[in-house]
Amino acid sequence: MSAPKTAPETVPGGPASAFRIAMGTGGWLVAAFLALPILVVIPVSLTDTSYIGLPKDGLSLQHYESYFTSARWLGGTAASILVGLAVALISTVLGAAFSIGCWFLGNRAATIARWVLIVPILVPPVVQSLGFYRFWVTLGLIDTWTGVILAHTLLALPYVSISVFAALANLDPKLPQAARSLGASVWRTVWEVVVPAARPGMITGAVFAFIVSFDEIVSVLFITVRRVETLPKLIWEGIQDNIDPTIAVVATVLVLVTLVLAGAVAVRRT
Amino acid sequence: MQTDKTRYWLLAAPALAVMIVFYIWPLVNIWAISMTEPALGFGNYVKMTESQAVQTSFVITFRVAALTTVICVLLGYICAYSITNVIRSARPLLIAMVLLPFWVSVLIRSFAWIVLLGRSGLVNDAMRDIGLIDAPMRLMHNEFGVVLAMVHVMLPFAVLPMMANMRGIDRAYTEAARGLGASEFTAFRMVYLPQTLPGVASGALLVFVLSLGFYITPALLGGGRVLMVSEYITYQIQEFLNWGLGTAISVALLVATALVLIVAARFVNLRSALLERS
Amino acid sequence: MSDNFDHEMSVELAEVAAHRYREGRLTRRGLLTAMAALGVLPAVGFGGRANAAASELVIVNWGGKAADIIKEVLGETYKAETGVDVVIDGSGPSAGRIRAMVESGAVVWDVCDSGPGSAIILGEAGMTQPIDYSIVDRAKLMPGTDWEFGCGNYVYSYVLATNPKLLGDAQPQNWADVFNVKDFPGMRTFRKAVRGQLECATMAQGVALEDVYDVLSTEDGIDAAIDQFRKIRDNVIVWGSGSESQNLFLQEEVSMGNIWSTRAHLLKDEMDEGSFAVSFDGGVMSPGTWVVPKDNPAGSEEAMKFIAFAQAPELQAKWFELIGSAPINPAAASLVPESMAKWNPTSPENVATQILYNDEWYAKNQIAAEEKYVNALIN
Repeated sequence: MSAPKTAPETVPGGPASAFRIAMGTGGWLVAAFLALPILVVIPVSLTDTSYIGLPKDGLSLQHYESYFTSARWLGGTAASILVGLAVALISTVLGAAFSIGCWFLGNRAATIARWVLIVPILVPPVVQSLGFYRFWVTLGLIDTWTGVILAHTLLALPYVSISVFAALANLDPKLPQAARSLGASVWRTVWEVVVPAARPGMITGAVFAFIVSFDEIVSVLFITVRRVETLPKLIWEGIQDNIDPTIAVVATVLVLVTLVLAGAVAVRRT
Repeated sequence: MQTDKTRYWLLAAPALAVMIVFYIWPLVNIWAISMTEPALGFGNYVKMTESQAVQTSFVITFRVAALTTVICVLLGYICAYSITNVIRSARPLLIAMVLLPFWVSVLIRSFAWIVLLGRSGLVNDAMRDIGLIDAPMRLMHNEFGVVLAMVHVMLPFAVLPMMANMRGIDRAYTEAARGLGASEFTAFRMVYLPQTLPGVASGALLVFVLSLGFYITPALLGGGRVLMVSEYITYQIQEFLNWGLGTAISVALLVATALVLIVAARFVNLRSALLERS
Repeated sequence: MSDNFDHEMSVELAEVAAHRYREGRLTRRGLLTAMAALGVLPAVGFGGRANAAASELVIVNWGGKAADIIKEVLGETYKAETGVDVVIDGSGPSAGRIRAMVESGAVVWDVCDSGPGSAIILGEAGMTQPIDYSIVDRAKLMPGTDWEFGCGNYVYSYVLATNPKLLGDAQPQNWADVFNVKDFPGMRTFRKAVRGQLECATMAQGVALEDVYDVLSTEDGIDAAIDQFRKIRDNVIVWGSGSESQNLFLQEEVSMGNIWSTRAHLLKDEMDEGSFAVSFDGGVMSPGTWVVPKDNPAGSEEAMKFIAFAQAPELQAKWFELIGSAPINPAAASLVPESMAKWNPTSPENVATQILYNDEWYAKNQIAAEEKYVNALIN
């Protein structure tokens, strides 16, 4: 693919060359490939049939009714939200303290510690879940909310520690030093100088932690049996057991909530 | 300052302790199980290396992961390039479209693909309605469906590091090349592309490593015939309660992942690809 | 050895019952009767009761998806008869967990729904009690399911199911046809694991029913069966759980396959007229198994009494009608309504054309065969 020669000054945003057209079109196609398949759940959720498919004779809210009146689906949804909030809180506190500590230390040992904390990103989910399962059995945590929250917290910690550390990259080390030399205690310096600087990272980390927990499925499949049911587990069982349009409803609700939240954030930013 | 240092360690300690006790230790245990159940020794590893099914499963896993990575890098590059350099007014929309799947759970996305690709799925129905095909095509329960859905899951992981990298590239070099008479494509190939390779490498690494251990999508769309290692492990554990062999394969998968990272470390700055990615 | 066989079937039955209940085919009372007979009653406790009172019996099963429905139901049937409370723990009595519980010395389970393989292994390991056949009636069991350390509780079969509508002119009549892709095109489904599968591949080679396990007892016999699968693997989608097999038929992903009779029981009602058929010819009957852990809290006698109670033919027939798990008690077959008899895996007509799952063969050959089976399907 060669492009016709154009004058250099017109290059940025200049006349459309074949290369630019190809890249631009390709970009749109890839973005469409990413976004559009997900939206297929919306028409399916409105189907008037009892099986997965597009609406036949008209739109129907019957599957929305079955979701919003099902104690099981609503319970799972509520459970996932609560677990997600707990995980976000715990992992943000632990992860932020960790990153702040490592940031101050700034030595080799601290870097190794940071590597240790991101191990869960790299370990295959099934492998770590086997580890959880066996250890949770000895701890008596199988099929308990504590067990689920603990496992999710471990999986969320890498994201929190990475984003808090990234936020601290902008903090001038001289600032806390100055606070210390003015007589502030370590704890006060951390609380009043470092934590404010880390806050954006903590917020991002908390959001990540919530999402990691809210979507987590593999570990839940291993460490829960029956009493503990999260939304992803219900979806998983739904897909495997009876593919009925209620799952499309759940998917639609989740996609719409995501879109609304993303939109809200975008509006607030501008 | 010695006491200050202790205090900083006190801040870092809880998370580190939790991670070591509840995560690293159970992983070490996996290795211990593989050496002790049902009998002490390397029996499970011998069985594993002799097993044709395990070998096939590893081959399938690496093949699917490699295919996914190549496709993700190609598509991701085009997408990242056009977001950074071509499309201007609609850039936020495009970014949102790339990020949307990131926020929607893998389960939901796999479900969407099942709806689309099934024998009586939307794609087959639509093509039959407009007369393109007579009989439904097999779009899932095979490697095609698995790779397609995996690319969908992994693509944002490729786009984001490449985008971050491209944002930091100064257009001046490319423009200089253009000024010297290079065609737009030549300038891209000779000047721009080499500068983006670090982003490509970290995107590829991330996609490959995540694909190696991927479970959900292959399990849901593979129909049991695209048996990747993670699914094979669950299969050993759940169908046969064969913890010894299951954990031995787990250790092998972990080692394989670690080897990929070690090899990658020669080409990729792991620190910026993993530890400091934003 | 695998013992998932057991809990899978329990989950399976509970699910089928729940399914029926949702469809309105099963009344609460009916569900209750069935569940009581099955031993699948709601989980009211939280599993880890330290000391069950003497007046209660803990039956263990995999609650599964039916939990939310059966939660409402209590062990009334048995209680009405005996005054003993029945507590159901749905947490899954896998062989590993029974063993762990017995070894830890804190046994809280009385009767567990297991499988023949596990029953034998657990019995040999001294983890379970021998069945007291002075209380449990051998005559009320299908011959061959009265093991020393376990006895049959219900039967399900691996059967040939087809979708005649999708198949058109090429309707497979037997296993040989199913393994003949050329003349009978279409996708097939088989179980992810070898149980109930190698038998049909052996029959497909023309081996007579009574010789199937003899042929499979040689390395060549196993390899020949595996080869059958290798030949047709491009036309195979495997199922892991019963509901998965059901879905594959419902979604028309497959047009024939080897599935559990309990799922066929549901599919015959769910699929349109003429799009679902089942043949018991060449089926493999599989018994579920009760086992009693050593030192069970309610005592041996109470546990045996419950097992004997569940043998009642009326209960067994009722339970088949409602959720498709077939009576293990031969006397129950005549109580099954005539219209449903042809779907009953243990009706005399169907028994005549099937073989009984050979647990000894599985104990000896399963692991090696599984390995070859998986490899044949993916490689």
